[in-house]
Amino acid sequence: MKKLLLTALLASSTIVSAQQYLTREARLSFDAGSPLEDIEAFTESGSAVFDASSGKIGVQVLMTSFQFKRALMQEHFNENYVESEKFPKASFKGTYNEGKVTGELSIHGVTKEISVPATLREENENFVLTTAFDIILAEYNVEIPSAVADKISKAASIQVQATLKSVGK
Amino acid sequence: MRRLCLIVFFSFSAFVAKAQEDLFDLLDDGPEPTQITYATFKGTKLLNAQTNETPGKGVLQYIISHRFGSFTDEYLYNFFGLDIAQIRMQLDYGISDRLNVGMGRSSVLKTSDAFVKYRALRQRTGGNAFPVSLTLYSSINYRGARFTDGLDHYTSDRLSYHHQAIFSRKMNENLSLIVAPSVVHWNLVPGPGDPNDTYHLLLGGRHKLTKRIALTGEYAFSSNRRYGSGATEERFHNPLSVGVDIETGGHVFQFHLSNTRAMSDPLWMAQNPYSAANGSLFLGFNISRVFTVRQ
Repeated sequence: MKKLLLTALLASSTIVSAQQYLTREARLSFDAGSPLEDIEAFTESGSAVFDASSGKIGVQVLMTSFQFKRALMQEHFNENYVESEKFPKASFKGTYNEGKVTGELSIHGVTKEISVPATLREENENFVLTTAFDIILAEYNVEIPSAVADKISKAASIQVQATLKSVGK
Repeated sequence: MRRLCLIVFFSFSAFVAKAQEDLFDLLDDGPEPTQITYATFKGTKLLNAQTNETPGKGVLQYIISHRFGSFTDEYLYNFFGLDIAQIRMQLDYGISDRLNVGMGRSSVLKTSDAFVKYRALRQRTGGNAFPVSLTLYSSINYRGARFTDGLDHYTSDRLSYHHQAIFSRKMNENLSLIVAPSVVHWNLVPGPGDPNDTYHLLLGGRHKLTKRIALTGEYAFSSNRRYGSGATEERFHNPLSVGVDIETGGHVFQFHLSNTRAMSDPLWMAQNPYSAANGSLFLGFNISRVFTVRQ
């Protein structure tokens, strides 16, 4: 009997973990450019997790991992705009439900409730997450000096694409 | 038996609860990524000295520098020293994110120079951490000014060299420090008994006041300031500079007060004739502009 219970316990623990999906190679990109200046960056080292039973979903990215075409732009992004030393990570923690993710988005130390369209489809035992949405930089206290106000968009378009694999495997 | 069942039940439910909480913890569980420390300094130069920084790959940089006349040198007659300003222009290029080459022209002794700068080691945090950056820097300097001693000179007499190992560390977001030992070699020295090689230790740093404005300073110790074995008087003085860095987009403005006036490395570092104690202080600035020529 004891043995049976133990086996049941072990089996149940595998079931629990098998419902979780994870990647550390999520692609995130953003565009905050204007007709005067291309401001684009991407990273392929974001993390994303998904729990298929609860629908909970999380995405996290290290700000310094964003790659820009210009080294100086990358430096200014980290040093002057998102202050990566103080706020090293951006994250989303929420739930996925019928073509929408709803939850808390944290950027630059500011956390806001968002609800944006997203797709999460099962593909070869993996989950593929895709979403694209805009954020207003001022809402996250990202200051744009007036001298460059024409060059930087007030909103940034963010794109996320991630293939999450089962944690158990 | 019932008790056992209960224990199993609770431990199982606890496990489920834990699994829910831990979902977001998984985001942080991965191997800690290595992060290269960025923006230890705003510019490739601190004041006269070099920092550990180089322009990025494919970036062309132009620096124009002025050193105005001394406060003690008919300051108003010379329009706040502007009339007798010394100038240096520099053009350099980032071949890779680590390798930088450039050239410059300074008006003191009509000196032309060429340099190579290489980031050998970079400060890193995270998984593969490393505490300091090491950048290697070498310049060759050619004196274009005529010799006035009436003697015939070889072309090699006009050459001098400066080699430096620049150790730097970004202590925190605001404070960055430099310790840079260097050697200056002259093919021709002022007098018999003067050393061809002098050794120097440069100390420098910056402290940020705001995101775009920082205070900077530098000082260099020299192995020989008297020159000549029998000389009793100090002919040359250690360079001391303090300044302000202001960054605006692709420009870095550096304004400073210094007891040096020459801008080619061997001259300001090893043969600086001016002493702040005698009132020889010069206002000056460097302005850099970068152009991304290849992406």
